[in-house]
Amino acid sequence: MKRIVVLVSLLVAVSIVLSACGGSSAANHLEAIKEAGVIKVGTSADYPPFESVDANGNKVGFDVDLMNEIAKRLGVELEWVDMPFDSLIAAVQEGKIDASISAFNYSEERDQTIDFSDAYYTSEDAFTVAEGFAGTITNPEDIAAYKVGVQTGTTQDSWLTDNLVATGKLPEENLFRYDRVDQAMLDLQNGRIEVMMSDFVPAQALVDELGGLTIVYNGVLSSGPMNIVIPDGDAELQQAINDILKQLQEEGFINALAVKYFAE
Amino acid sequence: MLSNFFSYIVQGTAITIGVTLIALPFGLLLGLLMALIHTYGGKISNRLAAIYSLLLRGVPPIVLLFILYFILSGKVINLTPFWAGSLSLGIVSSAYQMEILRGALLAVGGGQMTAARAIGMSRLQAIQSIVLPQALRLAIPPWSNEASIVLKDSSLVYALGVPEILRRAQQLSATTQQPFLAYGIAALIYFVLVFATNRALDYLSERTKLPTHP
Repeated sequence: MKRIVVLVSLLVAVSIVLSACGGSSAANHLEAIKEAGVIKVGTSADYPPFESVDANGNKVGFDVDLMNEIAKRLGVELEWVDMPFDSLIAAVQEGKIDASISAFNYSEERDQTIDFSDAYYTSEDAFTVAEGFAGTITNPEDIAAYKVGVQTGTTQDSWLTDNLVATGKLPEENLFRYDRVDQAMLDLQNGRIEVMMSDFVPAQALVDELGGLTIVYNGVLSSGPMNIVIPDGDAELQQAINDILKQLQEEGFINALAVKYFAE
Repeated sequence: MLSNFFSYIVQGTAITIGVTLIALPFGLLLGLLMALIHTYGGKISNRLAAIYSLLLRGVPPIVLLFILYFILSGKVINLTPFWAGSLSLGIVSSAYQMEILRGALLAVGGGQMTAARAIGMSRLQAIQSIVLPQALRLAIPPWSNEASIVLKDSSLVYALGVPEILRRAQQLSATTQQPFLAYGIAALIYFVLVFATNRALDYLSERTKLPTHP
């Protein structure tokens, strides 16, 4: 028994020593990043053409190129941290990563726990169906009559939940939530779901890649401006990123990226 | 193209093996400690060990992993995701290993302890040189089960941002739209790892077998 007491007190001592090692002299988060010379940015690299990995495992995509340029202009190295999409906001909140870029749309719910940069791109929602789909969709709410797929934790997920499920138009068992958009698109091809709601750009990329699918509606419902996620109340980092985004807009850098990745 | 893909997933193998090599021994030490407390401890420590096992086995590993991760990688203790994930997985596994070892300790039987005490050994001496050498041998076959479970559960650390085999396969399936190829490669690697682990433990079990235990 005595040994256990010794062991426990040893563990406590170790954890106190470890905790004392933390702490930095920097006045704010931005200073701390510059002092460290590296910014840790989270992304979920399974969402082409915004972020994905190429055959060699390098991160590529619209968001990746944009963030590389931002880090360069901040004068720091960029360290990518790859996580599932629904872990990203928690990781920013807990300070595990400095910021996150992963095709995030602004939403009020998200804004309560983290902050957003200015918009760098405006996205639309799309409804994708399999070719040969017999139904008709003229209004967005018409999809309530079908089996609908969506990616978990996205703004589309909230839109469907708030506007169609909560109002009783779409039965909960007809809403299928997926980890990733590409899984949902494969199920759409196989006929397990009838309509898939997602961002327009990745939907278009998957329609081109997979075949047998077609987009029947696009417009702004849940999506809209895309922003970089930064910790709540981090005014300095927000300002620094916004300044750089503004420069990049003016120089045409962001438009050039859109042409490169979305062929706009 | 294909060989690049293969090597990208294979690089994740080092992380999977690393996580397992930290989680398993850590879980073994912790599990052994708890099993000894549960079997030979006093009334209160016995209870505490039982609650430990009940709590850890009653909650899904991914939930525990998140909770432990935010403790181990928070403001008080600040470990990297790799270490925090590996140690968390070790803590989750320790509850299962504890029950395996407790079973083995009980299987040795109370008579051995009584006999050791009768020839003048202390309780600690008896545990160290009479009970444990037999119990650890008995524990190898069921423990090989836990070893393969931890190896495969190591994929859970991807939720914390550690890109092991399964996460890499997911990324490639998203890029290439060839889920069967990507997951097939991942399955093959896991199978080889589990197969090798189990064969090694079978061999160890055979080599250390006591003449008194058929």
